[in-house]
Amino acid sequence: MSDAPIAPRAPLQLRRVHKYYGASVAALDGVDWSVPAGSVVGLLGQNAAGKTTLIKTALGLLRPTRGEAQIFGEDAWDLPAAVKARIGYVPQVITLYPWLRVRQLINYTASFYPHWNDELVRTLALNWAIPREEKVGNLSVGTLQKLAIVLALGHEPELLVLDEPAASLDPGARRDFLRTILDIAADGRRTILFSTHITSDLERVADRVAILRAGKITYDGELDELKDSVKRLHVTAEAPLPPTFSVPGTVRLKIEGNEALVSVRDVSEKIVDDIRRNYAATVGVQDLNLEDIFLELHHA
Amino acid sequence: MRPAVSIHVSPNSGVPIYRQLMDQLRAQVAGGRIAAGDFLPSVRQVAEELQVNPMTVSKAYSLLERDGIVELVRGQGMRVKDIATNGKVRREAILPLLKQVAATAKQLSLKPEQVIAQLKPLLEEIER
Repeated sequence: MSDAPIAPRAPLQLRRVHKYYGASVAALDGVDWSVPAGSVVGLLGQNAAGKTTLIKTALGLLRPTRGEAQIFGEDAWDLPAAVKARIGYVPQVITLYPWLRVRQLINYTASFYPHWNDELVRTLALNWAIPREEKVGNLSVGTLQKLAIVLALGHEPELLVLDEPAASLDPGARRDFLRTILDIAADGRRTILFSTHITSDLERVADRVAILRAGKITYDGELDELKDSVKRLHVTAEAPLPPTFSVPGTVRLKIEGNEALVSVRDVSEKIVDDIRRNYAATVGVQDLNLEDIFLELHHA
Repeated sequence: MRPAVSIHVSPNSGVPIYRQLMDQLRAQVAGGRIAAGDFLPSVRQVAEELQVNPMTVSKAYSLLERDGIVELVRGQGMRVKDIATNGKVRREAILPLLKQVAATAKQLSLKPEQVIAQLKPLLEEIER
């Protein structure tokens, strides 16, 4: 998010990207963001936060109004075919050819790539019970989603981008899908970016999280670090707390008589000790899960 | 000997998964369920069984290594270090709680002797 130097040729990188729809609606409002190689990144945001616009702009499917988007160090809007072959993308809304059989569609897709892992595609299709002889148009939404993911994996992309991949999957299929993401991520050579508004999907598989809010990245870092640093403090003092009661890095504060609930961004022993000492209070430190943190940050 | 994975994580907890792993492995080592000289299950095995990101498991393992609980044996994995180290591990595990007791004691203006006097019978009760 700062101007700090970013490793060259990051799989995906945005610099001061703005995207307007019409003259005044800013879908992206100055995004500086990069995805480090080998990471599994969850892009978290409420509906209409701009997740799809961010992904499409990053991949060169939308042109930024200002700023630049790069994939493996190349201009995303004008990607050489060799770089395109290193990307796998599953859009939120999947449109495939309904008149083709699954088997035909797989062969058709494979023909675009110099490298195609038939074995992998066969195994995934089998594991996910995708009927090879069925017409694509007859597949359920969930199966269609799985097929799209399989097609995006066939050429073994280094960068896999999935827009709300689990949204139309039932709980069982979602678990399968997350398992597959973990399998793909296991060798650490691939970079995976997926957007979601479901925090529990993210907590299991992602090692990094980026939070998009109203067209801005408001957090970008390790998931563990986020959980380690954002805490809710339960403060109980001997006397009523003064209106001047404050804690560094406060995200949300609620005072009621002798008690206060305060969520802080960068908790430390010093912060807690200072409250204990300055207000003669007991302080309980509560861990927050990602959903809690997400909500706290959005009410800030 | 390579023990089976007897760890449970809840990804939706506020405690990061790597710390859940560390806490449980630490407790198992301290409690003797994993003995000195034993190898921890491989990163891959744990990641697959618990369905979590392998990098998270690696992180927990390397932090346990940093803390002197396990050592990396090339080509074999993470081996639990000897008992002498584990005494220290056990003492360190209780330290955060003791700090909390000390802070509360201070707020209540209790003298150290008073706190220790209260703690002693509690400890003895558990031993019996």
